[in-house]
Amino acid sequence: MRGDQSWWRGYRSSHRLPDACLISFGLTGSLIVILTVLAILSLAVPEFGDLPHLVQVATQERVVDSIILTMGAGLNAVLILLLFGIPLAYVLARVNFRGKGIVESLVDLPLMLPHTIAGIMVYLLFMERGVLGAPLASAGIFFEDAYAGIVAAMVFVSSPYLINSVREGFENVPLHIENVARTLGASRFQAFTRVVLPLSVRHIYSGAILAWGRAIGEFAAIIMIAYYPMVISTVIYYTFTTHGIRESRSVAFVFLIVCLAVFGLLRFLTRFMGKYDDRI
Amino acid sequence: MIEFDGVSLRLGEFCLQEVSLHIGRGEYFFIIGPSGAGKTVLLEAIAGLHSPDEGRILLRHDDVRNTPPEERRISLMYQDYSLFPHMTVEENIAFGLKMQQVPPEKAQGRVRGIMERFGITSLAHRLPRTMSGGEQQRVALARALVVEPDVLLLDEPLAALDPLTRDFFILELARICEEYGLTVVHVSHSREEALRLATRVAVIIDGRLVTEGTREEIFSAPPFREVARFVGMENIIDGAVESVADGYVMIRSGDCLLRAPDRGFKEGDQVAACVRAHEIRLSPNPPPAGWEENVLAGRILSMLSDGAMVRMTLKTPFFPVIADVHRSKVIRHGLAEGMEVFLWCPPDAVVAASLMHGDESAS
Repeated sequence: MRGDQSWWRGYRSSHRLPDACLISFGLTGSLIVILTVLAILSLAVPEFGDLPHLVQVATQERVVDSIILTMGAGLNAVLILLLFGIPLAYVLARVNFRGKGIVESLVDLPLMLPHTIAGIMVYLLFMERGVLGAPLASAGIFFEDAYAGIVAAMVFVSSPYLINSVREGFENVPLHIENVARTLGASRFQAFTRVVLPLSVRHIYSGAILAWGRAIGEFAAIIMIAYYPMVISTVIYYTFTTHGIRESRSVAFVFLIVCLAVFGLLRFLTRFMGKYDDRI
Repeated sequence: MIEFDGVSLRLGEFCLQEVSLHIGRGEYFFIIGPSGAGKTVLLEAIAGLHSPDEGRILLRHDDVRNTPPEERRISLMYQDYSLFPHMTVEENIAFGLKMQQVPPEKAQGRVRGIMERFGITSLAHRLPRTMSGGEQQRVALARALVVEPDVLLLDEPLAALDPLTRDFFILELARICEEYGLTVVHVSHSREEALRLATRVAVIIDGRLVTEGTREEIFSAPPFREVARFVGMENIIDGAVESVADGYVMIRSGDCLLRAPDRGFKEGDQVAACVRAHEIRLSPNPPPAGWEENVLAGRILSMLSDGAMVRMTLKTPFFPVIADVHRSKVIRHGLAEGMEVFLWCPPDAVVAASLMHGDESAS
C-alpha cells in the first residue's frame, strides 16, 4: 500500500495535472489567433503559387515608393507625437486639475471615432480655408493632397496609442523618486529628464511602435485629405478597384511582409529597452 | 530653523489644518501619529513639494512660499529609500552634486569620502535592486547627506528594516545627526524610535497638530486622551473630576474613584485616567497597609507571556484592566487565569488627560 502511495506521489510530481480552466481559456482564445493565421494564409498561399507575378508587383516603382512614403510619413507622425505627446502624458500622469476628465476624453476620442469622421475633421481643420490650414497655407505649408496632410491624419488617429502608453510609463515611476531628485537639487525638468524619462523608456518605445503601426495602417482619414500622394492603403484600394483582386493581393502581401519584418525587429529590440522599467 | 505659521493645506480628501510649530536648529524633532494623519504631507510641505493654501512656512526666518524644493537645502529620505534604480550606488550619491553643479573632481572626492564614511565603497558599482534593505538605507542616507543639507527629513526611514538592523541604525542615526549638526524632522509610527532619538515630539492626528513637547512630556504625561492612546497607554478610563485637593484630583468613573496628580483641572471636567500596564501592581493578597487609593479587586481573564513579562487582562467590577507583570512574580504568587486578585497603582502613575476638542461629544 505504501509502495502504491509513493508511486502516486512520484507520478503527481513529474506529471502536473492539466488545469481545465486554462485549457478552456486557451482553446477559446486560440480562435482569434487561428483567424489571423487563416487570413495570412489566404493571402500568402496564392502568392507563393505565383512567385513571378509577386516579384513583378513588389518591384514596381509605384509600390516601392508608396511603401517608403507610408513608412516615412508614419515615422514623422510618431516624431511629432513624441514631441507633443510626452509633455501631455506627463501632465496627465502627474497633475490633477479641473477638467482633466475632459482632456482625457479628448485624447481618447480618435479611438472611438469612425475614421471617416476623423478624416473629415482633419480635412476641415487643415484644408486651405481651414482654421489651421489657412494660416499654414499662407506660410507655404499645404495639406490637401500633400505629404503634410498624410502626416496630419496619421498624427490624429494614432495619438491616443502613444499618449496613453507613455502616460502609463510615467505613472509607474513612483512620485517619491521624483521628489527625492528635486530635494537633491534637480529642477522639475531635470528630475523629469534624468529620472522619470529613463525609467519610462520601455513604455515610450512601445507607445511609439503602436502609434507607428496605427499610422501606417490608416486609410479612411488619409484619403479624405490626401488621396495623393498615395500611401500603401490607398494604392491597395486603387489597385483593387482598377486591376482586381489578384493585383491588389500581391501589393497587400508585399506590405504585409514588410510590416512583419519591421515590427518583428522592433519588438525584438524591446527586450533591450528600459530594462529598469519593471524594477521600480 | 523651521516654522509653521497657521499652515493649512488641502490635498484631495486630506486636509492639514492650521498647523503651527517651531523647530530649532540642531533639534531632532519627531512627528508621530497614526496612518493617514498627515505626517508625510507635513514633511513634504517643508521640502517644498506642496504649497500651503493658508499660512506660511519659514525656513531660516524666510518665507519660502516661492522657493522651489531644489533651492531649500533640505534632503528627504522616504521609507522605501527611493534610490534611482537605473543608477549605480556611486551615481545615486553623486546625483545631487551633479545637479548642484559641483565641479566633477570635487564631487568625486565628496562621493568617495561619504562612501568610506558609511562603509559602502564596495557597493559603488552595484545597482540598488541587488542590495539588501540595510545597504539601501546606507546609500540613501549617504545620498541625502552628501549635498550637505541644513535639514534632513526622514519619512519612516527604519520601518522596512528587520528589528536587529533597526536597532543598529537607530544608534547610527543618532551619531550621524550629531556629527553633522543637522536639524532632523523624523516622521514615524514608532514610539520606540521616538523615545530613543527625539529631542522634541509632536503628535499629529487627522491633519491637526494635537500637541508638542519634550519626549518625556509626551510619553510620560500625554495631555490628551487620544495622545495617551497613541503613545501606548494601555489603560484609558473615561471619567470626570469629582474633587481637587492637595495637588491631586479624584476622578470618578462609574462607582470607581481614581486619584491622579492635578494638571489644572476643575470639578466636573471630563477627563481620562491613563495608566501604563507596567505601573499596575498585582497580588492575590490585599495591598500593603497604607494603600487605600487606586485599589481594585479583579479576576485574571487571560495571560500572555512576552519574554520576561506576562501581559494580563483582568476583569474588575468597573472596567477591564491590562497589566504587565514580571514572570518571577507570576511564579512566586502562582498567578493563573481565573484567579481573584487585588490590583492597585500609585496615584503618581495615573495621568489625567483632557479630552481633545471634539471628543467631548463622543464621550
